[in-house]
Amino acid sequence: MSENVLKKLAGNVKDYMKFETEKPITWCTGCGNFGIQNALKRALALEGIVQKDVLFCFDVGCSGNGADKIEGYTLHGLHGRVISLAAGAALANSDIKVISFGGDGATFSEGPGHLIHAVRSNYPVIFVHHNNENFGLTTGQPSASTRKGVRMNAAPDGVFLEPINTMDFVLSLKPSFVARGFSGDIDYLTEIFRKALRHDGFAYLEVLQTCPTYNRDTPEHWYAERIKHIEDAKNYDSSDIWQARKLMQDIENEIYTGVIFEDKSKVNFLRAIPNRKNAKTVLKDEVKKYSISEFL
Amino acid sequence: MTRLRIKIVGQSGMGLLSVGEMLIDAFNELGLFVVCDREYPSLIKGGYSCFTINVSDERIFSLSEFADVMVAIDNVSLNQYFDFLVKDGVLIHGMEKAISIKQISEKAIGKNIKVININARETSKASGGSVLMQNTVLVGMAWKVLGIDIGVIETALKKRFEGKINIIETNLRCVKAGYDSVVSENLATGLVKKMSVKKSEKKFLIDGNKAIALGAINCGVRAYFSYPMSPSSTILSYLAEMSGKTDMIIKQAEDEITAAQMALGAMHMGTRAFAATSGGGYDLMTETVSLAGMLENPLVIVVGQRPGPATGLPTWTMQGDLNLAVFSSHGEFPRIVLAVSDPIDAFYLIQHAFNFAEKFQIPVIVLSEKTICEGKINVLPYDENAVDIERGLVSEEELKDIKREDRYALTETGVSKRWLSGDSEVYYFANGDEHFVDGSLTEEADEVEKMYEKRMRKIETIKKTLPKPEIFGEKNADISFVGWGSSKNVMIDTIAICLEKGVKVNYLHYSFVWPIDGKSLKDFFSKNKNVHLIEENYLGQFGNLAEAEIQEKFAGRLLKFNGRPFFVEDLIDYIDKNSKK
Ligand SMILES: Cc1ncc(C[n+]2csc(CCOP(=O)(O)OP(=O)(O)O)c2C)c(N)n1
Repeated sequence: MSENVLKKLAGNVKDYMKFETEKPITWCTGCGNFGIQNALKRALALEGIVQKDVLFCFDVGCSGNGADKIEGYTLHGLHGRVISLAAGAALANSDIKVISFGGDGATFSEGPGHLIHAVRSNYPVIFVHHNNENFGLTTGQPSASTRKGVRMNAAPDGVFLEPINTMDFVLSLKPSFVARGFSGDIDYLTEIFRKALRHDGFAYLEVLQTCPTYNRDTPEHWYAERIKHIEDAKNYDSSDIWQARKLMQDIENEIYTGVIFEDKSKVNFLRAIPNRKNAKTVLKDEVKKYSISEFL
Repeated sequence: MTRLRIKIVGQSGMGLLSVGEMLIDAFNELGLFVVCDREYPSLIKGGYSCFTINVSDERIFSLSEFADVMVAIDNVSLNQYFDFLVKDGVLIHGMEKAISIKQISEKAIGKNIKVININARETSKASGGSVLMQNTVLVGMAWKVLGIDIGVIETALKKRFEGKINIIETNLRCVKAGYDSVVSENLATGLVKKMSVKKSEKKFLIDGNKAIALGAINCGVRAYFSYPMSPSSTILSYLAEMSGKTDMIIKQAEDEITAAQMALGAMHMGTRAFAATSGGGYDLMTETVSLAGMLENPLVIVVGQRPGPATGLPTWTMQGDLNLAVFSSHGEFPRIVLAVSDPIDAFYLIQHAFNFAEKFQIPVIVLSEKTICEGKINVLPYDENAVDIERGLVSEEELKDIKREDRYALTETGVSKRWLSGDSEVYYFANGDEHFVDGSLTEEADEVEKMYEKRMRKIETIKKTLPKPEIFGEKNADISFVGWGSSKNVMIDTIAICLEKGVKVNYLHYSFVWPIDGKSLKDFFSKNKNVHLIEENYLGQFGNLAEAEIQEKFAGRLLKFNGRPFFVEDLIDYIDKNSKK
């Protein structure tokens, strides 16, 4: 974290602290969720976003158990459904930042349809994909991103299927914003969150998340040895989808993090929908009696 | 009461809908009361379909199974439906080779049916029309047969094709050619002549789905999320068509789970939004209904019922999903189920649905039926101010002193204060896990129990607030009925028909189906000795709930589950056998 940023954060420390909970946290020691939430709170404070400005939407899973561990308006929905719940909320009141969180089980097993269409619809929502490569809360079954050969709960002989390359999958959908971070690289993750917060449209942010309890195959140091920052990739152009997809093929050796792809030309759903292009109000403030006689 | 009954039969895609629409436009123009519905298979082309129109000079709501006049567009459908044409009726068709309907012609002679036929295709061509405009020729023939002035149908056609001068001209020529082709000895003027047309306020032809769409717009709904499924799909089309003017967000979602979740999220944030579907789609929404129950988040879902299980009969009607609406979703939580019966009450009930959902912070399921969704009647302009918007949100004043613990406070009524994200510095957790009064998670036995009871206390509060069921018909009835949904339509008509015959019938109608108002039902049972159930399903779902509620049994059950709505004749037959006269 640069000195400037540090100073700014120190200045906004009160706002940061407001998001902090006094309740006992129920994540395992060393869980990547700590780092993710920490980076998020920092980014919010740095961007001047206070409790009143934001709605946090949670899926069900270990990440979802953060639903009452961050102080602010939260909405804790159902497994696999958080993206659609968040999208509905965002469309109703776009004055509020809507940030949603879900695990790899939620995103790539229970509810991938929601992800696909949220990317396509470019809803003004941030979605944080907590990728710990397993089903945490249900005690370590394999997910679609568990690596081949790894022995897991309910897979005693090791997972015999190939994992889904989640980043490549999302990139194939013509997204407007795709980023990846690592839960152990909090300063850098903070900066990624800040960029996601400034993005106008659907921001897919995948966080490679350590799971000391169920994912022993790729522990903290495994990631630490492989994680690279996108700024260090030679001649990388984050508006070039093919470069992005190519770079994301490697999930074994050089794992790049940062804003991987951004298409600034894509407008968010609320400004793309033809009949609301000139809307000056948000739906939340439009609930009143309307005459229907002209439609009879 | 006079009732003119017309059936237009043809294969799907042959334009029978437009024949029907032209005729009902013209009847509406005349100031008569119209009821119509269409039967068709779940495919786009081919198969036999039927458009049924009943017309009267008094307000009628339901249909007869039979027809006085049948307009046949093709042979296959004619064979299918011919037996519904009554003795002394009129058959109008435009088929070239009379030979292909030889059998029908013989049957027609046996039933003293007048057959009126010209080569409609040739007539259309000779008038400069297309093959499809043979339908307009048929309309002209029918109009002449009914003995009504051609000016009326001409006006209706002009309105229908407003702005399309060429189309109007050709259609007018075709309708006139058809009209003129019918010679005067073939007129069946009796039926319409007997009707005394009172020039009344202008009426509008509308189906139940459009009434729901309009009711929603009227009460401030700003977003609609849906995945197409018969018979509710046209709510999506109607709202989309109107969205250029309403500025509503209309989103065809990727599935019903999404539609329900988006509606819930949007309602959470404080706008009014809903989703509509049919039973199969509602199955997918049930987890979201449960979430709404736990979050105490308002949610409104419309279910246009069609026969199941599975894909069932996609384009037919039923009241088979009451149990689904009442018992769907895991866990226990308060909810309201209400049922529309026609395009009149649908407009108002959808507005009540939103008020109840917001005031009690619960899911409300609105049941409709295929026959209501797509069946049209002509209505007087709605009273747009009949239902005030009630949001159940805290006032600005209350917001000033709001505390986090207020959100799910353990109140007497079960209803706690609700405010919206961003309304206040004082935030709360909306938690799908069991929670304390501020929404933070708890699994402590005492706390769980308290919160559970608080939510469930709403049931009593709701029961005290819900409007009572409505009684139609006579005191000291020879036979009584209890029902919900579209049953009301056939009951109202039947009550009038029976009264003319000296049989007294009455009917207790539930618009607010769940929770059941048992007291009103008990009252009805105590005042009426021969109370029967009328319901469109096999199990008598409402009947079972009602009997359980009051510990009394219906004297009999009139049930139907073949995809057709109740026709007047179903009731007359049943009453003949069961009335205690
Ligand atoms: C409909 C439904 N199915 C299954 C579950 C049980 N369940 C809870 S969390 C979870 C998976 C969690 O994995 P993931 O989404 O990767 O999140 P993590 O716990 O790893 O953060 C499952 C299957 C549920 N809550 N709801």
